[in-house]
Amino acid sequence: MRLVIVLAIILTVSASLLGATIDAVVLDGRSGVHDAVVYAVPEGRPVPPPRRAAVMEQKNRAFIPHVLAVQTGTAVRFPNLDDVQHHVYSFSPAKTFQLPLYKGSPPNPVIFDKAGVVTLGCNIHDQMSAVIVVVDTPYFEKTAANGRASLHDLEPGRYTVRAWAPEMRGEPAAQTITVTGGERVEVSFNVRR
Amino acid sequence: MPVRTFQARLLWLIVAVLALLEAGTLISVHLAGQRTLQKSVSDELKVGAAVLDRILMQRAGQLSESLRILVRDFAFRELVASGDTPTMSSALENQRKRVNAGAVLLVDLDGNVKADTIDGRLTGRRFPFASMLADAQKNGEAHATITFSNKPYQFVIVPVLAPQPIAWLCAGFEIDEAFLADLRRLTTLDVSLWSSTAGLVSTLAPDQRADLLAAMPQKPQTALHLGNAEYATLQHPLHTGDNSRVVMLLQRNLADARQPFVKLELQIFALSFVMLLAAVVAAVIFSRSVSRPLRVLAEGAGRVERGDYVSPIVIEQKDEIGQLATAFNQMQAAIGAREEQIIHQATHDALTGLPNRTLFLDRLSQSIEGSKRSGESVGMIMMDVDRFKEINDTLGHHFGDQLLIEIGRRLSHTLRQSDTVARLGGDEFAVKFTAPTARHATEVASRVSTIFGAPFILGDVSIDVNASLGIALYQMHADDADTLMKRADIAMYDAKKNHTRFAFYEPGRDEHSLRRLALMMELRQAVARDELELHFQPKVEVSRDRAVHAEALVRWKHPRHGLMRPDEFIPLAEQTGNISLITKWVVRRAVAECAEWNRIGLDLSVAVNLSALDLFDTELPTFISGLLSEAGLPPSRLVLEITESAVMKDTAYALKVLRDLKRRGVVLAIDDFGTGYSSLAHLKRLPVDELKIDKSFVQNLSETATDDLVIVRSTIELGHNMGLVVIAEGVESQESWQILKRLGCDMGQGYFMSPPLPAAEFRLWCEGRAADSTVGEAASSRPAAGELG
Repeated sequence: MRLVIVLAIILTVSASLLGATIDAVVLDGRSGVHDAVVYAVPEGRPVPPPRRAAVMEQKNRAFIPHVLAVQTGTAVRFPNLDDVQHHVYSFSPAKTFQLPLYKGSPPNPVIFDKAGVVTLGCNIHDQMSAVIVVVDTPYFEKTAANGRASLHDLEPGRYTVRAWAPEMRGEPAAQTITVTGGERVEVSFNVRR
Repeated sequence: MPVRTFQARLLWLIVAVLALLEAGTLISVHLAGQRTLQKSVSDELKVGAAVLDRILMQRAGQLSESLRILVRDFAFRELVASGDTPTMSSALENQRKRVNAGAVLLVDLDGNVKADTIDGRLTGRRFPFASMLADAQKNGEAHATITFSNKPYQFVIVPVLAPQPIAWLCAGFEIDEAFLADLRRLTTLDVSLWSSTAGLVSTLAPDQRADLLAAMPQKPQTALHLGNAEYATLQHPLHTGDNSRVVMLLQRNLADARQPFVKLELQIFALSFVMLLAAVVAAVIFSRSVSRPLRVLAEGAGRVERGDYVSPIVIEQKDEIGQLATAFNQMQAAIGAREEQIIHQATHDALTGLPNRTLFLDRLSQSIEGSKRSGESVGMIMMDVDRFKEINDTLGHHFGDQLLIEIGRRLSHTLRQSDTVARLGGDEFAVKFTAPTARHATEVASRVSTIFGAPFILGDVSIDVNASLGIALYQMHADDADTLMKRADIAMYDAKKNHTRFAFYEPGRDEHSLRRLALMMELRQAVARDELELHFQPKVEVSRDRAVHAEALVRWKHPRHGLMRPDEFIPLAEQTGNISLITKWVVRRAVAECAEWNRIGLDLSVAVNLSALDLFDTELPTFISGLLSEAGLPPSRLVLEITESAVMKDTAYALKVLRDLKRRGVVLAIDDFGTGYSSLAHLKRLPVDELKIDKSFVQNLSETATDDLVIVRSTIELGHNMGLVVIAEGVESQESWQILKRLGCDMGQGYFMSPPLPAAEFRLWCEGRAADSTVGEAASSRPAAGELG
């Protein structure tokens, strides 16, 4: 028992040393929303450029993943794993592009340089649909099936926390949270769909 | 009231029942038709409404499909995403033409019109069909019937997907008359679309539209008069996208809907009429088949009534009527047979089965009528069986009947088929025949006579029968059947009287016959009135030329006819049963006279003739004995003369009487010997003492008449051999007297000696004979008159 308490203290202390954590839950009524995106935008501070690329595969005539969250400026590759061609397009204002009929991986990734929601489609496969949520922060996470997601290692400071959910009508109110370091903050969003 | 025949009644009944049935059928068909019509029109309208809904739905589906294809166009989607309004408007116009829509609108997700094909009139405004948009947002797409620009449109709205909805594309397709005409072809209903703002679009004729429009704001009605036609109407509100009121009116022309029913009713009516006609024909045939045999039966009954029993009723049917006809024919035959039997009984003699007097007279009349045409002579024979009454009395009626039957049988066999043999009654028969001449008639009569040639053998009795035949011929003797019969009857009596087998009628005899009839009436009174008297003719002993007997001969001093000889009334007396009366009178007077002769010294016996009928009177011997003793005259002084034929009639009975008389001592003589047919053996049995040779053999007796001579000689010898006294009658000449003398005849009687004389004159003759005793003078002093004794 003692050991357990000691371990809990150690963990708590170490967490506070490493950075704050936001435990978010996105609810639609009482049930959690899967594949929602929760992101925290630091106020008054520049954010580091994206460090990694993202991939939106087309496999079995579907986009994988269905929802992809990326930081603004992220290059996203669209490898086609099917043996049929695809024509990926977006008419969304955040990123209008098209990758005319191709097989395999297009030579160049698409850079999503503007925050917003980009709806993807395939011109020859109407049922194929995906969403890329482009956010101006490196702190974002997709919710699990229970609607929960946690943002880790937040530097102390003030954050605007927002949530996006598929097929939502109206964006839930943003929440401003200030973290000092090491603590865990609970945030919840209710969306209407 | 006309006569309602069975046929007519049957006919009317069948027709009336059938007409009633058919009228009922027609009415029920009409009512059912009305109900069916209402139901079918109502169903048609409902089905029409369902079809209409379905077609509108399908049309919307087709329209939305074409819009969906349109919104999948990448370039179009790109354009929509670009938000370039002028380009978009032109693109919409282009698409409008492609899908042949009336109007196309692009609406953003917020419900604002982004572009349109109606000159941008709605661009920038709120989409006007909010409820349709809400519907589409909920269901992904929507359609509605909407009045737009005063015209009915079917609007369809689909999302523009990229692939999530980025806008709505809305297209309107006008519901025009061509579309409604299509609907009418499908549903056979008139289709109209009414809305408060757009008025009416319809497949109806213009004048009907006006009527419908005028009637329209009203409540739903089932029937409307539009123009000249009546319509069943169904109001079918349509789903609208803007809450306006659009009503689809489905209308059925009732006259058209009624058409098949009217046709059906006409067909049924025609069929009923044909059936009625067929039934009338069948009823006529059937009723005839029933009534015709009835008529035939009635006619048959009429025939029977008229006496036709021969023509049967001919009915082929095997049913009850046929059975009736058969029964009727049997009845007819039975009636016919009975009537025939009755007629036969009425026209035939029950005993012999021969035609009776009625039928004979009828046939005789017919033959005479026929003869008047053909000229052939008709004759008849009247026949009477001699002494039948005696036969009947002695041998019994049964025997008499059998004899008559046998006579009838023999007559029928003897005569031709065309001749008629009849029994008129009693022992009278008649024969009718055709005979061209009197000689033929004689042949017929001879043939008839031959049936009496052979004795009649009935049971163990054999009897010889004679008959008298009288013949009369039509035209020669009479002009009608009645007279002919009467005259044949007279002829028959002549034959009987003359002892000939037959006699023809002699003209003028009819009056004589009448006299005879009167005499028959008067004869009974003659005895009482003392109109009879006796004449006497002597029988002279040939060897001594001396009168020894006197034959008493009766005469009738008739008040009007004068002196009548016995052959004129004795047969009458025999026929009327008065002979006994006369015989008794004669015997009494003769005995009295003889007694007187003896008293005055005349040594004479008296001879009296007995009738054959007298021999049947068993009282006669007693009577005679009484008279003789009363008069004091010895019986030997009385000679009773009986004709040979009389003795032969009924030998057994006659013999009995004769023997009785003989026993009483009376002398018996056979009169008219040689005319009958008596056998010698028979003769031998008779208790007679004398034999009188018939005058026919003696009258002309001469040395040259060898036949008569032989007969007379043989008879004398025969008589003598039998121990009889032989007397010859009809001695009229010296020559015959001498011959008799030579032949050894015992006595002679005749005009040569004396005619019969009244009692007083006879006494004078006897006294005169005694005085001169000369036969020759006496004979010569007497006239040789043709008087027959």
